This record gives sequence, C-alpha cells and structure tokens, in this order.
Amino acid sequence: MKRNLLTLVIGAVLIVIFALLLFVFQVRQSEVAVVTTFGKPTAQPYDKPGAYFKWPWPIQKVYKFDQRVQNFNDKFSENLTADNNNLLTSVYVGWKISDAKSFFPKFAGGSVPAAQRMLESMLRSAKSAVIGKHTLSEFVNADPKDLQFDAIEKEIESSVQAQLQTNRCGIALEFLGFKKIGLPESVTQAVFARMTSERQVLISRAQFEGEGEAQKIKSAANRQASETINNAVADATRIRGEGEAAAAKVLPVFQQNPELANFLLRIDAIQQSLNQRATLIFDERTPPFDLFTGIPASSPSK
Amino acid sequence: MSDEHKHHHHPHESAAPVTSQDAGSQALAEALGSSFAIVKVVMVLMVFAFFASGFFTVGPQEKAVILRFGKPIGEGQKALLTAGLHWSLPYPIDEVVRIPITEIQKVTSNSGWYLTTPEAELSEVEMPAGASLNPAVDGYAITADRNIIHTRATLYYHIDDPIRFVFDFVSASNTVQNALNNALLFTAARFNVDDILTRDVAGFHDAVLQRVGDLLEKAQLGIVIDQCEVQSIPPRQLKEVFAQVTTARENRNKLLNEAHTYENQVLNLSGAQATSVTNAAAAERTRYVDSITAESKRFSDLLPQYRSNPSLFEQMTFVQTMSQVFTNVQDKIYLPQRADGKPRELRLQLNREPQQPKPAAAP
Repeated sequence: MKRNLLTLVIGAVLIVIFALLLFVFQVRQSEVAVVTTFGKPTAQPYDKPGAYFKWPWPIQKVYKFDQRVQNFNDKFSENLTADNNNLLTSVYVGWKISDAKSFFPKFAGGSVPAAQRMLESMLRSAKSAVIGKHTLSEFVNADPKDLQFDAIEKEIESSVQAQLQTNRCGIALEFLGFKKIGLPESVTQAVFARMTSERQVLISRAQFEGEGEAQKIKSAANRQASETINNAVADATRIRGEGEAAAAKVLPVFQQNPELANFLLRIDAIQQSLNQRATLIFDERTPPFDLFTGIPASSPSK
Repeated sequence: MSDEHKHHHHPHESAAPVTSQDAGSQALAEALGSSFAIVKVVMVLMVFAFFASGFFTVGPQEKAVILRFGKPIGEGQKALLTAGLHWSLPYPIDEVVRIPITEIQKVTSNSGWYLTTPEAELSEVEMPAGASLNPAVDGYAITADRNIIHTRATLYYHIDDPIRFVFDFVSASNTVQNALNNALLFTAARFNVDDILTRDVAGFHDAVLQRVGDLLEKAQLGIVIDQCEVQSIPPRQLKEVFAQVTTARENRNKLLNEAHTYENQVLNLSGAQATSVTNAAAAERTRYVDSITAESKRFSDLLPQYRSNPSLFEQMTFVQTMSQVFTNVQDKIYLPQRADGKPRELRLQLNREPQQPKPAAAP
C-alpha cells in the first residue's frame, strides 16, 4: 500500500510538471508576451513579469518581445536650414515596445530591424521638416534666449511621436536627441579660413592692447609719482613756515636790547665763518694782538 | 459445501505455487529489492543533485538577481546578491541573472573627435590632417560663434539601480554615450570658442556635466555620475594660429605685468622721496625753532651782564671769541703796519683746490 502511495505521488508530480510545461509560460522582467489563439492575438496583455496560463499548442501560441529601451540612431544625413545652410545631423532615439499587440502584427512577427527601418524613415521626414524651419543661429548661439537646440529636438520628437501614433505601431519614444552635428566637407574648409582670419585679428589686438595698456599704466604711475613729490614739497614748505612762525614768537625777547642781539649775531658770524681751514691775515690793531703795539701805550692813552 | 470447498481450496491452490516456486520468486524478489535499493539511492542522490544545482557563486566583479517565474525577488537594492555563495530554486522556477559590474563604469563620447586610433594617440604621432574635415569619419562640435572644435568627454558612473539598468535597457551604456555626445554638442553650441578652449574651461565642463546629468535623469537609467572629464582642442589644421593667439595673449600679459612692476617701483620711490622731503623739512623746523629758542635763552642770560657794562662785555666777549677763532684757524699771518704808515702790497695765490690733500696724494 505504502509503495503504491509513493508511486502515485511521484506519478502525480510528474503529471503536474508535464502539465505545467504545457499550460504555463513565463514572462521575464524585461519581456512582454503576446498570446495568439488560433493565430488571433488575445486581448489580455502580458506585460508584467510572472507565470501565466495558456492552452497548449496548437490552440494558443506565445510570442515574447524585448520590452527594454532600445537604442537607435539614424544615418548622418544632410538637411537645409531655413537660412540655406547645409547641416548634417544624426539623431539618437530610445524606443521600446509599448503595446506588443499592435507591434506584433505591424512588423512581420515583431521584427525589430523592420521597426527600426520604419523609425529611420520617420526620423528622416521629421528632421527635414523641422530643420528646414530653423536657422543655423538657432542651433548654435551664445545667447540662451536665441538658442533653440532643445526646442528643435522636442519638435523632431513630437513629429516622430505623432507619426507613431497615427500608424499605431505600439512603439513608444523614450528620448530623442542630436548625436552628431556637422557641416559638409567643403564648408569646413571655408570655416577654417574664417577662423584663421579671426585668430589673426585677435593676435594683433592682443599686441596693441598690451602695448597701449602698459603705456597707460606707466604714464599714470609717473603722473602719480610726481604728484606725490609735489605734495611733499608743498608740505615741506608749510612745515618750514610753521617753524618760522614759531620762531617769530621768540623774537620779542631780542627786542629788549637790539644792540646786544646785534653784537651776539656778529660774534656768532665770526665764530662760524672762521671755523676751520681759514687763513687769517691780521695787523696789530686786531685784538688781542693790539697788545703787540705795547702795553704802556695803551694805558697812558686812556 | 462444494462451494465452500472451492472456497477453501482456492487459497490453498494459490498458496501452493508460492511454496512450489519458492526459490525462484525469492531470488527475483531479492533482485528486485536490491535494484529498488539502488534506484532509491540514485533517486536520493538526484534529489540532492537537484537541490545542490541551485547553489551558485557570485564573483567580486558582478552582482546577481534571481528571477522567480521571470520576476526579480526583492525590490531595488535588496534584489541584488553580492559576491559569495547563494542558492536558488532550479530552472525553470528560478533563473539567475548575473550583472557584470566593476564598481565604476566608464564611457567615452565618440562624436566630437577627429579620426584617430588609440595607438596613434599614445605614441603622440598624429596622422596628418587634411585641409578639411570629412563628416563621415571626423567628429567635431560647432561652437556658438560657429567655430569648429574637437571635444570629447569621459564619464565615470556607477550603477545605482541594476534592475533598471539591466532590465529596462538593451544597452544602457550606449544610452549613456549618446547622452554624453548630445551634452557636448549642446554645450558647445552655447559657448564661444575661446571660452571652451581657454577662458572658461571649468564653466564648459560644468555645463556639460549639468546637461548629461539632466539627460540621464530624464532617461532614468538608474546610474549615478561620479566624474566627468572634458577635453577640447582647436582643429589640428589651425593649431599654429591658435597657439599664436595664446602667445600673443601671454606677451600682452607680460607687458602688463612689467608695467605694473614699473608702477610699483615708481610709486614706492616717489613715496619714499616725499617722506624724506617732509621729514627733512620737519627736522629743519625743529632745528630752527630749537636754535632760536636756545639763542633767546642765551640772550636772556647775557642781558643782565651786558646791561651792567656794555663796552666791557663787548670787549671781553670779542677777545674770547677771537682767541677761539685763532685756535681753530689753520694759517695765521701777522702783518703789522709799516712804519711809514703806507699800505703794504699783498699777493695772494689762490688755488681752486684745497692745497692740503695734494701732497698726500702725490707720493
């Protein structure tokens, strides 16, 4: 009996596993599935990961798609801007299958390359329409108000978005942006020529600026220096004047006896003038050498 | 009775062959029993193998996520298994997805640089540049003032949300690269060439980083930017003329620096001069005032003496002074009056230079 039970359990497990394999299918995190019943897609979406029930083949059939964001960029292609400049652009997009049920029948068996071919043609028409409406200065501009880079990208994106919507292909556009921008080869040469001449202007300007500025700085310094010295000289004069004013206050002292003052001045003058390295020629009348003429002569004369 | 007999007989009959074939069936039973035992052991081993097959290791350079029926176990960071030994239910219930991540990922832009090879760049021998840029192979960016420059950026980032990074994007690193390319184009379109190359290199770098950050956030890639390096150069064709501008600007700065040095010198010198002039004046004032004060004091001191006998005072003072003067004076020539009272003739030979130093220098 026991052995029979074990056998039964094992048999049941095997049957369950077999049934599961037949009746259950998995949808992985990154996938979305479409189930067809006799070739016709069922309404129920299988866009969440997990295990799902299905009838075995040939009743129902499961198609799985990658639901992740795919990268695609179109060919580097030339368009004419509104101001007749040739501009080469390449755009990258991130797209994903948003509605597998629409995507599946649109492209044979849900072929990704087919979807990308369609995207490419949509991008081509969107780009030529949008770029033709803008001037080159809206692509490149130092003034953020005039720069339309973002707006141009948005316009292309919404144009593609609209085309995707009308075609109902179950594709969602996640992001879009310029990947590469260029000019035709012959234009680059012209740009180089212009850049060279601009550089040369800058070179000569730098030279002139340097010399001129240096000259300005030097002459300003000279002017300031002479001003400083002139001020100092004026100050010095004022200071001396102060000294003289202070001295003038002392003068009344000398007025008490002008004779003495005069005498002292003369004495000082003699002292100062005959200080050193002077040669003095004198005769007997010069005191104290008047003594040479004889002491007795002087005393009786008195 | 017969019925009963039959009934009785039957078990007897059935028992009979067992006993009669005892040896054979016993051997068979034994054989079956032993083979069942082997099968059992094998089954137990298989069950073990079944569960053991669920063990797996995660290396140091990777992370892993277990998908149960296709759905990750755990949310966000919790779903990530780090390096070590882990266990999962066998396929098809569980599936292990390994995510190879070194800590820091690196992506370099590819649409703003001229055609070159890593080898050529390492050896620093550049391929000769043609007169123009071929749009098919040479990348560049157009600046706000419509100059052409080459620019490239390297972005370092780490994966913050591997679930999003792996399960929401076919090639997330490709998306990062495109965002980086776009950021370079967009930022170059807003900056003038001189700002990008010399004047505002840091500003350009920050703007690129800002743009790429915005784009990546919008795309929700589940990554965090660590670092961004931006390198920009003028076209190789115009290398010379760009270098000349730099030299000219350096020369200008040198001239300006020299002028400033001169300015400092002149101002310092004039300041010093001015100070010395005013100081000298101040000293002179002090000296003058002091001397006149001293003079007045001497005057006041002498005045009483003078008043008592002016002529005596004058004579005494004069003789005192003269004695001092005669001590100091170098040459003294006494020339008494001639006896006849006629004036003497005196000849003076004057030398411009003082006579004293000459004999000292002669030998």
